[in-house]
Amino acid sequence: MSGLEHVDDYPEIPVSLASTSTILKTGAWRSVRPIFANRMAPCSAGCPAGVRIPAYIDDIKEGRLEAAYATVTARNPFPRITGRVCPHMCEDNCNLAITTGEESISIRSIERWLGDAGMDLPDPAADAETGKRIAVVGSGPAGMAAAYYLRRTGHEVTVFDQRPQPGGILRYGIPEYRLPSEVVDEEIARLESMEINFHNNVALGRDFTLDDLEAAYAAVFIATGAGQEKLTGIDGEGLLESGLDFLEAANRGTATLPGPRCAVVGGGNVAMDVARVLRRLGADVSVLYRRTANEMPAIAEEYEHAVADGVHFHWLVLPRTIKKDGAQLRVTVEEMWLGEPDESGRLRPEPTGVTCEMHFDGVFSAIGETADTGVFPPRLRNDDGWLDLGEDGETVDQMVFAGGDLATGPATVIEAIVAGRRAARAIDEQLGFSAVWPAEEPLEVVPPKDINLTYMPHHDRSDDHAAAGATAPASFAEETDTLSEAEILEEIDRCLSCGHCNNCGTCFVFCPDGAIIWDDGPRIDHEFCKGCGICVAECPGHVMVLVNERDVSHA
Amino acid sequence: MRWVVPEAEHMAEGTLGCQGCGGALSMRLVLKELGKDTVAVLPACCWSIIDGPWPVHALDIPVLHTAFETAAVVATGVKAAKEIQGKDTTVVAWAGDGGTFDIGLQALSGAAERNEDIVFICYDNEAYMNTGIQRSSSTPTGTWTTTTPDQRPEARPKKDIMGIIAAHRIPYAATATAAYPEDLERKVRAAMAIKGGMRFLHLLSVCPPGWKMEADQAIEVMRRAVRTKVFPLYEIRNGREYTITRWPDDLPLEDYFSLQGRFKTLLEDEAMLELVRGNVEERWQILLDRHQRSHPELAGAE
Ligand SMILES: Cc1cc2nc3c(=O)[nH]c(=O)nc-3n(C[C@H](O)[C@H](O)[C@H](O)COP(=O)(O)OP(=O)(O)OC[C@H]3O[C@@H](n4cnc5c(N)ncnc54)[C@H](O)[C@@H]3O)c2cc1C
Ligand SMILES: Cc1ncc(C[n+]2csc(CCOP(=O)(O)OP(=O)(O)O)c2C)c(N)n1
Ligand code: SF4
Ligand code: SF4
Ligand code: SF4
Ligand SMILES: [Mg+2]
Repeated sequence: MSGLEHVDDYPEIPVSLASTSTILKTGAWRSVRPIFANRMAPCSAGCPAGVRIPAYIDDIKEGRLEAAYATVTARNPFPRITGRVCPHMCEDNCNLAITTGEESISIRSIERWLGDAGMDLPDPAADAETGKRIAVVGSGPAGMAAAYYLRRTGHEVTVFDQRPQPGGILRYGIPEYRLPSEVVDEEIARLESMEINFHNNVALGRDFTLDDLEAAYAAVFIATGAGQEKLTGIDGEGLLESGLDFLEAANRGTATLPGPRCAVVGGGNVAMDVARVLRRLGADVSVLYRRTANEMPAIAEEYEHAVADGVHFHWLVLPRTIKKDGAQLRVTVEEMWLGEPDESGRLRPEPTGVTCEMHFDGVFSAIGETADTGVFPPRLRNDDGWLDLGEDGETVDQMVFAGGDLATGPATVIEAIVAGRRAARAIDEQLGFSAVWPAEEPLEVVPPKDINLTYMPHHDRSDDHAAAGATAPASFAEETDTLSEAEILEEIDRCLSCGHCNNCGTCFVFCPDGAIIWDDGPRIDHEFCKGCGICVAECPGHVMVLVNERDVSHA
Repeated sequence: MRWVVPEAEHMAEGTLGCQGCGGALSMRLVLKELGKDTVAVLPACCWSIIDGPWPVHALDIPVLHTAFETAAVVATGVKAAKEIQGKDTTVVAWAGDGGTFDIGLQALSGAAERNEDIVFICYDNEAYMNTGIQRSSSTPTGTWTTTTPDQRPEARPKKDIMGIIAAHRIPYAATATAAYPEDLERKVRAAMAIKGGMRFLHLLSVCPPGWKMEADQAIEVMRRAVRTKVFPLYEIRNGREYTITRWPDDLPLEDYFSLQGRFKTLLEDEAMLELVRGNVEERWQILLDRHQRSHPELAGAE
């Protein structure tokens, strides 16, 4: 290429060949440092079991079904059940709902889908046999959960129950259309396949005593529930039918209607279930409640369902007397008004003195349940007649633990599961197996102000939809369908993954210094990170926090 | 990763950009798409420093440091040399707003008018930041800089560089910002796809010290510039066809200004604020009109 030779006459141009990273350690500029914080999502904090919700949601999104199922069952062995009946305290806490006013993530529906999808997955194999024998009395969710975790540790577990089949209220209380017996059967079958033994039709206090168990087993967990209907104090109590007994009969398929017009006394979930089952059997049903809809203890959703089923609600009425009147029952109710709030914060019903009469063919009581502690030795009880228990359900007998509705009075399935798991852990600690349990350090919860909503897609929440063949009020078939995988994936997309890194890549994309290295996920290169804080501000679920550099370098 | 942004890095760690530098982030993201067969020409600007002092530098590609006014013409020369060598290397002029709107304008206009086969990228931090925050013709009305102090904030509107570029009828010009990385990367790919002519990218690039703001709000502030119509995102093909690529929302202007100390006096001056609001709205309407005329098929749809 002639004519370009003059280029040789140019003075040499200085050329930089080494990378800035060889000598410019810009991490030294930093006064604050981003670190991955081990924090908890508010939904998980709201869940009594502390299930790591964004973690399993992330697993589902990435197609890691087994990991998702394992994450849930580490804290709640029965997502198929809670995914159907849990009042979902997690959803009340969702940061997305709190910050945007949009509806929370449909966590229960996701859990239900996962429970159903994971149904055929093998449960984690039990650890090596320990040779320890453990007795569980009561096969409701508390007993089932305790048995599940104790078996995972490798103990030989036997569950005793006075009823012909295991499951407790799951089988004999909650109606079929909300929790099909098939689901309960399959969950029990899972436990049986783990080689948990079930002894049915045997009652503590009738067929054996606590002392018998203590003599034969290394530890005992008692979870006999709160199966006694409270007395209503109505004059004519004997004419009332028990709501619980009625639901049990309905679940066994033997319930009959006392007549076409029925009343249910009470405003809790049992009252809603009794009323809705009565509707399905064809009765005209009135709920008599002494306060108003605002104060009802029933889950709002269940109340709405009852209204949709055509149940009538009579507010501010308290039945005083019930008398036979020919083939019918004459109920005298006193009208109430709402006074000052009581200890529960709800307005207290006060009598007005005004009464009226109503006629029904049958009146069901559903004002609340209590535990029968008469079968336990007095040393286990306190002055009120309840069991005297420590935080983990421990009793005065070192190797006897108790929990669930028996300890708390009527509560929820998930709280019973938590009690069972906690007792299993306490038993393992007593027996020297605490190493199989994960450490539980208290975690800070990601507050709503921390999250970044910029990257979330705004679309509507998906809830379980009404099942096609189960139109109320005639059918006992399950009333809702599990969402499809596609619907679940769309719903999952809305989750901000509070406190859990789901490898979205936002921090990596926005770091002006390339100081976030992507190896399958983000890693902060503190040698070069200047501490601008962009990664922390942009991370949708605020997985990272900024800490003062001095606190870490001199720690 | 949820983002459609290449994982490969062509900018090393250890750059001399300030904390939260939008110019550094813009370069990092742009290079991901430009790739290694690229030469960059840097006139005097912050990036002369960010790239590192001799004997080190940050980019995986050859960089030529050159005089303040010459980015476009040096890039033109490098491209000519590459052509002589028979190479298809992408040549980028990477200049600040001073090197684009002000002193670099005649070289830029010349290259654009000749439709040189280069990519001119302006990372616009709306002042001369490298020399200590002096105003440029890109500094918007109401801004504090060291030469437009609080007593006399910038009075003139920001120069319409995109209008000037469009008037040269070059094949492709676009605005973008690192706050919308996928939009940015797509525009870099679009620019790469058009060979044989001049391409121009105008990137709003936050400067936390110069804008007097917290570094961790760097992305948020650029996002708000787009959401408030202060910096609309669009492309212009052949100087005529306008396409808005990201629609603003109802975020009030104040939400953009209030993140930045440089607008403190503006926020207190209702009359000037009205003037600015009028300017932003007027420019948006002109853009919207051009967009709609370029896309009669989309009439009525946003
Ligand atoms: C009608 C109804 C609907 C409900 N709906 C919901 C709902 O939708 N969501 C929710 O979260 N919670 C609901 N609950 C509450 C929830 O079911 C209970 O909190 C939970 O079942 C308590 O579990 P548990 O294991 O402590 O007791 P239970 O489930 O009551 O199980 C106790 C078991 O112990 C057995 N037992 C009792 N005494 C003896 C004895 N002496 N010897 C041997 N065995 C004995 C019983 O047969 C029973 O199987 C509902 C409760 C009722 C009654
Ligand atoms: C001819 C000439 N005049 C002045 C300067 C000093 N100078 C260097 S960089 C700069 C300002 C650059 O501003 P801009 O192009 O906006 O880039 P920024 O530093 O803001 O990134 C000036 C004035 C110079 N290098 N050359
Ligand atoms: S957005 Fe997701 S992780 Fe955050 S609280 Fe809601 S469900 Fe939980
Ligand atoms: S964005 Fe990058 S430089 Fe800024 S704090 Fe995070 S890792 Fe450090
Ligand atoms: S921005 Fe995304 S990838 Fe980065 S830490 Fe947060 S969740 Fe993880
Ligand atoms: Mg500048």
